[in-house]
Amino acid sequence: MKIYIVLVCLTFLLSLKSLAQMPHDAIYMNKNLTCAAIVYGNSSWTDYWENSLKRENQNIGKLTSESMTAMISYGITKKFNFIAVVPYVKTHASEGNLLGQEGFQDVSFWLKVKPFSYKGLAGHITMGVSIPMTDYVPDFMPLSIGYGSTVLTSRAILSYNHPSHFYVNGSFAYHLRGNVEVDRDAYLNGDDLTYSNEVPVPDAIETSFRLGYLKKDNQLELFAENFSCTSGDAIRRNDMPYLTNDMKMTQVGVYGKYQPKNIGVNAKLAYVVDGLNAGQATTFSVGLLYLFNLSILN
Amino acid sequence: MKYYILTFLFVIGLFSCSKEIDEIEVLPYAPTSLDETAGTWKTFVLTGPDEIVINKPVPVTDAAYLSELDSIKNTVIPNLSGDQKALIRYWGAGSVLRWNEIARELSARYNIPPASNAEGLYPVPDAANPLADPKFPFANPPYTARALAYLSVAQYDALVSAWHYKYQFNRKAPFQVDTSIKPLLPPSDLPAYPSEDAVVAQASYVVLLAMFPGEEPFLRSKLEECMQVPVWAGMTVSSDIDAGKKIGAGVAAKVMARAKADGMGSSNNQSLTAGMIDHARSLGMVNPWISQESPARPPMLPNYGAVKTWNFDRIRLESIRPPMPYLEGSPEFKKDMDELKNIQKNQSRKQAAIANYWADGPGSFTPPGHWHRYAASAGVDSEFNEIRMARLFAYVGTALMDAGIACWDTKYFYYSPRPQQFGLKTSVGLPNFPSYTSGHSTFSFAAATVLSAFFPEKETIFLEYAGEASDSRVFGLIHYRIDCTMGANHGKVIGDYAVERAREDGAD
Repeated sequence: MKIYIVLVCLTFLLSLKSLAQMPHDAIYMNKNLTCAAIVYGNSSWTDYWENSLKRENQNIGKLTSESMTAMISYGITKKFNFIAVVPYVKTHASEGNLLGQEGFQDVSFWLKVKPFSYKGLAGHITMGVSIPMTDYVPDFMPLSIGYGSTVLTSRAILSYNHPSHFYVNGSFAYHLRGNVEVDRDAYLNGDDLTYSNEVPVPDAIETSFRLGYLKKDNQLELFAENFSCTSGDAIRRNDMPYLTNDMKMTQVGVYGKYQPKNIGVNAKLAYVVDGLNAGQATTFSVGLLYLFNLSILN
Repeated sequence: MKYYILTFLFVIGLFSCSKEIDEIEVLPYAPTSLDETAGTWKTFVLTGPDEIVINKPVPVTDAAYLSELDSIKNTVIPNLSGDQKALIRYWGAGSVLRWNEIARELSARYNIPPASNAEGLYPVPDAANPLADPKFPFANPPYTARALAYLSVAQYDALVSAWHYKYQFNRKAPFQVDTSIKPLLPPSDLPAYPSEDAVVAQASYVVLLAMFPGEEPFLRSKLEECMQVPVWAGMTVSSDIDAGKKIGAGVAAKVMARAKADGMGSSNNQSLTAGMIDHARSLGMVNPWISQESPARPPMLPNYGAVKTWNFDRIRLESIRPPMPYLEGSPEFKKDMDELKNIQKNQSRKQAAIANYWADGPGSFTPPGHWHRYAASAGVDSEFNEIRMARLFAYVGTALMDAGIACWDTKYFYYSPRPQQFGLKTSVGLPNFPSYTSGHSTFSFAAATVLSAFFPEKETIFLEYAGEASDSRVFGLIHYRIDCTMGANHGKVIGDYAVERAREDGAD
């Protein structure tokens, strides 16, 4: 359901971040250093929150979203990085007769800067835009591969690295989510029947807290994240989710990266512990990383 | 640092005010005609326009009237709030139109199939406890078709009666009696007694409350708005409203008496399905329809086909029932199946879009609601007056209900399997009832046929819409081609009966 889609988005963000450096971590590529990654992600749920009612749905069974994501991070300077992400998503319901969907989802571009650092403490800002790459159907939930929304994300991160290689960081992000055009010409938003093919997708706030150990390029991290729409309606009793829903979820997980040379791997496992209008997803991803020098800018 | 924070805030601000959705707004308009003789038009349920009796109004020189007038002029209009003016603009677009929209919105809100309970059963919605889970009603397509039909018939019959009295008594509107009153809605020469808005409001309230019994507070608020607006706007006085209420209530009672006896009460008689399945087998249906939901859900309203029709009788209904669909194993069946398999593999984005546009599934106002919407737009485009608009909805609405009844009769007569019983998926969701014929096709061609008769210049576009609605069920993988072509033909015939009736009602 929509739930699912947000999960997919999150999965991407998470898997991204979990790469060598992500829009919401505190790691930077050195100048001209480039990290290319390919990540397989798998997010699935059986239980979901229909509004606040936790339930399963025998006509969906287990809803799985698999993704293959290509990512590239590039160090413009060692305090200013560029990241691009391209995910391909495929969905499947284990029960019932809803047709699975697949395709390229939303391409995203990010800039990350470190405006200040003092001893181990640093502040970071990332700005990103995510744009649907294809004309996929956004409101065939929960089978749709994405929201179809253009999203602008601004994120502030405060990080502290201890000389012992342990680190903590907290981040706050605001997702400005643009209206979506759907194939239908009327839809319910709360109790209001809206006569339009344009659907408002609620904005969302994402907060996270991370605790980890980073030595050279090897990393182990525990994290907790909360994703909360700032408005929206609830899934009606026994109805399907929709783009307008007020989706909230809290997720905890573990992430690790091992990069002995220029080739490395990463992996992530996450689990939704609480939610509203959302699937209780278990997500894992594994990625292959490749570091190399690219001097395109000089 | 400051710069970064500013940028951050700027980007947030840039897009946070863009959630507003533009909907097409219908503004008050002056109708192209008054239809002064509409009091003689043939009604659906009323035996005559004066079946509900109202008193002769007092003349406009009477002290009681002058006091009403004074109240409007010196108390009501000078003190209108911004909210009241907004309501005048809203309701001024037409009471018939607005109540039709309200009914569509309620249909969408109530169009959700009940959830199964812990025992794996589906509790039946209970009209006596409408807001419990599951809510009553489940406003599925047959239910919505019927609700909209009764609403429209009640509005139309009540307005015929209102027009009869308007031109019998010829009492002028306040702004004509006292020209210093400036009406806040487009003025016309339509006599004010009884108020057409009150007639429509009261009739609509009664019918919709019967159809959506959990919505009393919501419907009452709309009723009050709709009756107050013409007074606020200087179009009527309260005695016009009172007379209108009386007609609306009287006509709605007659119309609801028909509704209570039309057979809807036994439309969900599940004990009939065993016999229906045996019958289908006797016709050669090797694999009759079975629910594809888990747990298996009883089929939607298996006896809706026995509900009383509007524009033809039962003998006619049986005589126009489409012939046998292709049987499993036949080359024709295989051809239809191959078309679906090919779409499942290679569905184009355009096919998906058509399937989605017309899906009109749970949470929507269903195909009957979609066609009422088209009727409303066409009526507004032609600047129909209230009674023309009600007449349009009444013929489109009764044709849609007849289409639902005749289609459901066909569905349960043949009890044919859905493509999903042979392994296909769907991109729109699978309705829980037999396949042949397609409800979308039958509804759409019935409505398009009526609309084409009312708006001949738009025939091409209406038939194109109906064709898309019909195709959409193949593109969405839930109907065989034969379900749609035969449903379309059936719908045209059903629509023709409504057109035939309309030609004889004295309006044209």
